[in-house]
Parts: sequence; structure tokens; C-alpha cells
Amino acid sequence: MKRSLSKRLRANTATILTWVLALVYAFPILYMLITGFKPEEMVAPPSLSFTPTLENYDAVISEDLMLHSFNSVFITIATVILTILLAVPAAYSLVFGRLKSAEGIYYWFITTTLLPAVAVIIPIFLAFNYTGLLDTKLGLVLLYTGAGVPLMIWMVRTFFTDVPYEIIEAADIDGCTRFTSFFRIILPLIKGGIFSTALLVFITTWNEFFFAVNMTYSKSATLPVYLNRFLTQQGYFWAKMSAASTLVVIIPVILGFFTQKTLVKGLTLGAVKG
Amino acid sequence: MLSSRGIEKPRKSLVNYLVLPAIIFVAAITQIPFLMTLILSFIRWNIKRPDLPVEFAGFDNYKFIFTDSKFYQVLLNSLVQAAVALALCTIFGFLLALVFNRAFKGIFIARSLIIIPYFVMESVVGIVWKTLILSPSFGINQVLASFFGMEPVAFFSSRLSLVTIIILIVWQWTPFLFMILLAGLQNLSEDVLESARIDGAYGLKMILYIKIPMIKHYFEVGMMFGLINILKVFGLVFVTTQGGPGVSSANLPYYVYRTAFYDWQMGRSAAIAVVTVAITLIIIQSFFNLIRRKQRGSTI
Repeated sequence: MKRSLSKRLRANTATILTWVLALVYAFPILYMLITGFKPEEMVAPPSLSFTPTLENYDAVISEDLMLHSFNSVFITIATVILTILLAVPAAYSLVFGRLKSAEGIYYWFITTTLLPAVAVIIPIFLAFNYTGLLDTKLGLVLLYTGAGVPLMIWMVRTFFTDVPYEIIEAADIDGCTRFTSFFRIILPLIKGGIFSTALLVFITTWNEFFFAVNMTYSKSATLPVYLNRFLTQQGYFWAKMSAASTLVVIIPVILGFFTQKTLVKGLTLGAVKG
Repeated sequence: MLSSRGIEKPRKSLVNYLVLPAIIFVAAITQIPFLMTLILSFIRWNIKRPDLPVEFAGFDNYKFIFTDSKFYQVLLNSLVQAAVALALCTIFGFLLALVFNRAFKGIFIARSLIIIPYFVMESVVGIVWKTLILSPSFGINQVLASFFGMEPVAFFSSRLSLVTIIILIVWQWTPFLFMILLAGLQNLSEDVLESARIDGAYGLKMILYIKIPMIKHYFEVGMMFGLINILKVFGLVFVTTQGGPGVSSANLPYYVYRTAFYDWQMGRSAAIAVVTVAITLIIIQSFFNLIRRKQRGSTI
């Protein structure tokens, strides 16, 4: 009896410590969340006693923010769709096709993710300037899809490899064509993996900063650009800045909660099988 | 012969061609521009001075950067930044994974709190830390300093700016290593752990000799992906320190950017970009070989 009590006490202490750890780690973000609800004049010096207000959100939600949000949503969704259309057939081909160099092509795709964006920025800038793609949504969609496709092939190939080959053989014997066996049998098995990878591409595209800052001015600028401009123009209004930042990170953070499991699975499955 | 081919995949299948559009697209966005960067690196071109000729410069751009003391400082910054940040992310990520590898009420929420920073965009990470947390006048920095009766720490001075960038990278990338390593710990079979316990493996022994070797693959994948991305960090530097003061906190990606868009030296910037890519490839390849030598037959 005594022993179980001390055991429970230990477990409870561990739980409390874990919670403290989690709260301390997330503190900068939680503090940002709180600051967004503070009246501007109570932000400095920092304190936790204040009357919550929505005035910052009221001030921040403007036509300008809406324009940038629309750009972000449009560009991100278009990128995700285009990425799926290019990457899923490619990954399927690498796993179920009969390419001799499938392995080599796969590694080539992965190496393209090593390339820092700065290594291609000047030619792309010049090419965009020449073709009129500068400050257009299409331009960003093309660039982001170029980054999204290798990432998606990397993850989705893992999920394809996870499909037992017997199932496809069985479908072949039953007279399914490649086309129908893909849509009827394989796709239902891996649609969870594709969906989560799509969310991951969504998050990285939504958060992308470098191309967004350099390839757009105003018409097609996304939310990271908006925030950066906000900081330089109104950097002293911390409450408004916090409110704006909170609005901008809500979507990726929530999506992140749902993708974490599949993200980890997609990245590690290949390695664990060895 | 025909009958044995029945269930075998045909060699000349249309399926093979499905990979082509992706190859063409990715090559057009990444490889061709990089080849053009390579060409540009042999050209002298100041884009803001149309009166000066755009001309072939031979190896002048490379000669310039390899005799430029700033370049060496930036290179050193990049290496220190990648090595220290990756090591700290891995250590903290693993310690957190050990702490979170048990069931308790609300674990999902507590775990989600830890992983939030990974999904927050770099510009917000930079903004929040620069102002709310580290600002010496009104940030938490000032609160803590006055609590302990000290001067606030000058996080953005030339002495500490690189450390500050590393802190931000570690804060953002530890959650990633944490997610991967926690998955590894949760995949460990209870049987193995139990028999290790019977053999007398407890506490630190258990962690060092059983758990770490058994989740080695997870360390490899997590560190590889982490390294690739830490080497590319740009937004954090752009928003917080602009690489300064001087070049004290600039890394290679930021230096390429600054040379192109502040100094307007296109050729020189391209040369730095080429060197950056070469160094990145060398680092990743050495890291990959290190993993391979230890454990044959593993893939990324």
C-alpha cells in the first residue's frame, strides 16, 4: 500500500515535470498568443495581468492581410495539387515500373532537396523578369512545386513500397489493368500517406520565405512577406504584431498536429526496414 | 516461357514513363538554373552599373572570394552553426523523447506543445524571439535580468549574434528530432527491453547500451534530414540579425543573398553559391559515408 502510494507520487511528479517542460518549451509561442490579446499600452513591461481585448485583431484584419491570405491559400493549394499530379505517378513508376535506373532516379530526386534556394535565385530571377513571371502567383507555384515534388516522391515511395506485391499480382491475375488496379487497390491502401504528405507540402509551401520575399513585390506576395513588411513598418507595435503572427501560424500548426505521425512514418519506414 | 511471364511485370511498360514529367519539371526548376549559376560564376556583372561591361572573368570571382577574409568568417559561421545546432538538436530531442515516452493524461497536448515550433514559419520564429523574448528593453530577457539583478544580455551584439541564431535553430529543429526519436523509442519491442532488464540493464546502462543502439536508424534519418535543412537556414537570419553586425552571424546562404541583392555583384554571388553547393554536398556525403560505414546496407 505504502509502496504503491510512493509509486503513484513518483508518476505524478514525472507527469507534472513533463507538463512544465512542454509549457516552457512552447513559451515563446504561448506568450505571442497572449500578447496578441493585450492592449498595446500593456505589452511593455511584460506582465501577465491585463484585460484581454480583440482590438489588435480588429486592427490587423485589414484588406491588405486578406489579399496576402488569399495569395497564400491560392498558391499553396495550387502547389499541393500540381505536386500530387506529378509526384504520385512518378513514385508509382519508380516502385512498380521496370526502370533499371529507378534507384538512381530516386536518389537524384533526393539530392535536389539539398540544393539551397540561393544557388538558383539569380537565374530564376532573371528568367522570371524576362518572361513576366515576377510577382505572379504562377511563378511561385512553379517554384514551390519544384521543391514539393522531390519531397513527395521521397515520402510516397516509402508508402508504395509498403504495399505487398502479392496484392498487385492477385489483381493482375483477376484481369485488372494497371490503371484500375492503381485506383481500386493501391490508392485506397496509401491514401492516408498521400494525404499526410500533401499536408506536409502544404505546410512547407505556406511557410516558405526566401522565394516569396525575392520573387514578389505586392500583387502576389504571401503571408511571410506580409509579416516581414509588418515588422519593418510597425515593429514597435508588439501586440498587433503578435496578433498578426498568430493568425498566420494557426493553419500550419493545426495541420502539423495531424500530420506528425505519418510524417515520421514516411521518413523512417525505409530506414527501419533496412 | 510465356506462362512464367504471366505475373512478371513487363519490361517495356507504359508505367516507366510516368516518372518523366516529374523529372523534366524538377530539372527545369532546380538543375538548369543551377547550371546557369555555374556559368554566371565566371562572369563579371554588376547589375546596378549598366555602364560597366558584362564580361567573362575567368576564375576572378573565385579568386576574389578565396582571398576575402569575410568569406572565411562566413564559412566558419556556417560550419559552426550546422555542427553545434545539429548536435544540440539531437541531444535535446533525444532527452525529450525519453521523458515523453510514457503514457499519461493529456500526453497528446503536451507533446503537441513541444512540436509546435517545427511548424511555425521562420519569419515568425525570428520576429517573436527578437522582440518579445530577447529584446533587452522590453523582452523576457529584461524581466529575467532585473529579477537576477543583472544587465540584460546583448543577444544581438557581434559577440553573441551567432549564438543567438544557433539558439533559434535549435529551438525550431529540436522538435523534429524529438518526433523521429520518440517514434523510434515507441517502436522498441517490449520483449527485448524485458530481457535486457533481466540481464541487469537499468537506467543509464539501458539507455546507452540498449535503447540508443536499437534506434540508431532513427538517429540517422533524423540527423540527415535535420542537417540538410539546417545548412539551408535563411529566413531566421534575414529577419533577426541580417547577418550582422558585420558578418558575425551570416551563413553561406545569407552571404550569397547579400552579395547579389546588396552589393549587386551577380557573378561573385554565383561563385559563392557554387562553393556553397559544393560544401553542402561534401558535408552531406561525408555524413552519409559515416553512417554507411557503421551500418552497411541501410538506406536513407
